[in-house]
Amino acid sequence: MEKLKDAFDFRDFSRAEQVGFTIFSIFLLLFPWLGAGSFVKVVMIQFLLFSLFGMGWNTIGGYGGQVDLGKAQCVGIGAYTVALTMVWWKIPFWVSMPMGILLAVGYSFMIGYPLFRLKGHYFAIATIATSLVLQDIFANWKLVGAAKGIELPIHDHPDFLYMQFKSDTYYYYFIMVLFYVAIFYMNWFRRSKLGYQLRMIKDDEDAAESLGIDIRWCKIKAYSISAFVAVGGGFMAVYNLYIDPVSVMDLDLSIKIALMAMLGGAGSLWGPIIGAAFLVPLDRFLGSWLGGQKGLIGLDFMIYAMLIMVVSAYQPRGIWGIIEQFRRKGS
Amino acid sequence: MTLIDALLQGILMGLLFALVALGLNIIFGVMNIVNFAHGEFLMIGMYTTYWTSLLLDIDPLLTLPVAALVGVLLGIASYYSLIRYLLRGPAIAQLFGTFGLMLFLRYLAQFLFGIDYRIIQKGLLIGKSLSIGPFIFDWTKLAAGILSLFAFAFVYYFLNKTKTGKALQATSINKEAASYMGIKTDKMNAIAWAIGGGTVGIAGGLLANFYYVYPTIGILFVMIAFACVALGGFGSIKGVFFAGLLVGILEMVFPVFGSLVNSDFLGPHFKFTIVYLTYFIIVVFRPQGLFGWKN
Repeated sequence: MEKLKDAFDFRDFSRAEQVGFTIFSIFLLLFPWLGAGSFVKVVMIQFLLFSLFGMGWNTIGGYGGQVDLGKAQCVGIGAYTVALTMVWWKIPFWVSMPMGILLAVGYSFMIGYPLFRLKGHYFAIATIATSLVLQDIFANWKLVGAAKGIELPIHDHPDFLYMQFKSDTYYYYFIMVLFYVAIFYMNWFRRSKLGYQLRMIKDDEDAAESLGIDIRWCKIKAYSISAFVAVGGGFMAVYNLYIDPVSVMDLDLSIKIALMAMLGGAGSLWGPIIGAAFLVPLDRFLGSWLGGQKGLIGLDFMIYAMLIMVVSAYQPRGIWGIIEQFRRKGS
Repeated sequence: MTLIDALLQGILMGLLFALVALGLNIIFGVMNIVNFAHGEFLMIGMYTTYWTSLLLDIDPLLTLPVAALVGVLLGIASYYSLIRYLLRGPAIAQLFGTFGLMLFLRYLAQFLFGIDYRIIQKGLLIGKSLSIGPFIFDWTKLAAGILSLFAFAFVYYFLNKTKTGKALQATSINKEAASYMGIKTDKMNAIAWAIGGGTVGIAGGLLANFYYVYPTIGILFVMIAFACVALGGFGSIKGVFFAGLLVGILEMVFPVFGSLVNSDFLGPHFKFTIVYLTYFIIVVFRPQGLFGWKN
């Protein structure tokens, strides 16, 4: 019970943050009635989804300081579990989604064990290697649709069990609920024992070890927790009704997840949300605006990449770091 | 393709891989930075050769100096405009910084040249092959392997016999001690990036003779280079040479075994998966690599 109370306790944030979060929450709740077009709705769903991914990444990447560039593996496992069980055995989403999470956590646990013998750069590159291997396997495995991917059966009537709705509003509220679960969880996590241990590890591994923290075990735990992003993968499967290795497992997806968290501010509660709020609309609007014009492919990613370079060179703590810097100067 | 045939082809590819990985390893050794953009440097080397040979209508082999020069300039420009600033930040920022550079160069290429797969059609060696006994070699691959070997030997000579090369090695062994001896770290870093860019530029030029040129090719080769560097040992020049050969052989020989067994997973698509797996296993069980001393 105590833990549950902690999750809803935002008292150690500043007044401005509390007010901002409340206004933002009211906005999210009312958003479908604000009369936004379908395109904006899609952008909002993407924003919530990527915030969720970013928060997952944040446990290991932000608080733990271990740059994980293979988060799409978990997303892919979640998506494939939901899609395959639905196509093969007609298992409802509400059963297959937890299965996907379980598989992703198990998988992270399994590869986390050898992975966390490595530190820093070595770890980051090894996560890319594992995710490329997994993607190659799925892209060639005929049983799971190989590179063609899987199409989910479309139902005639909206079906809550299989998460099929006619309107995006339902999907929006579903992902919003997940988003809040993630926020409350992260709010608890950052003050949990593991949260403090991870920050200690990030600052100074040797010091953490000398205090009796089992570094590798902590990292594996955090890595497995971050595997909960699989829930977003499951959502992608039922929302898009089509998945293939590129859409749910690609390295680009892993990079995007890590970048959003990093750009917003890794290791803070708001960081991934700010990052997603910044990059998802940028990505979408630039994509639809430039994608329509021939010969401008890639310009959106160039702007993206420049942002990353500037942020990592001048303020590695991201947008949230910049905000905090200003606040400290002001007070 | 018989086993011996695959072995010989693998050695030729391996020489090229070694050259690609060499620059990455020098940069890593000197300044402990992993350059994710290395594969994109290769891609730019390839485009340089492609465009100069096409527009000036000269043989692709003659464009190698241009590719090398572009690589050197790219390396130096990256160092002075980005990497120098990244060095002040934490390791995570360095990682993301070179990552950003990688994305930037990739999508710049996509923006400028489109997503088409291009291949050089005209050239002295293109389409010609040499048969020695039962073995047939493409001249382009033979040239790539031999010239890579020369380039590698040249850099090796430079590192071990010239004053600058020795200073570079001193910096990679102990930066502080080297700077007390009057070796300017900043200058050494820039030289490391210049050599890194130059060698990979040449490798790109050689590769463009027989490989498709497209904007996203970088990630494949940067992963191969990582595998070579990890296998040979981070910071070890000798190591990266043998590791390159090993990866080249592995990548060619594996599909030969694979074709004997009918399975989804042993086809030629998986030749690079095997490389990544090898990388993963080596780096987990022997992080210092086969010849490495940095851990």
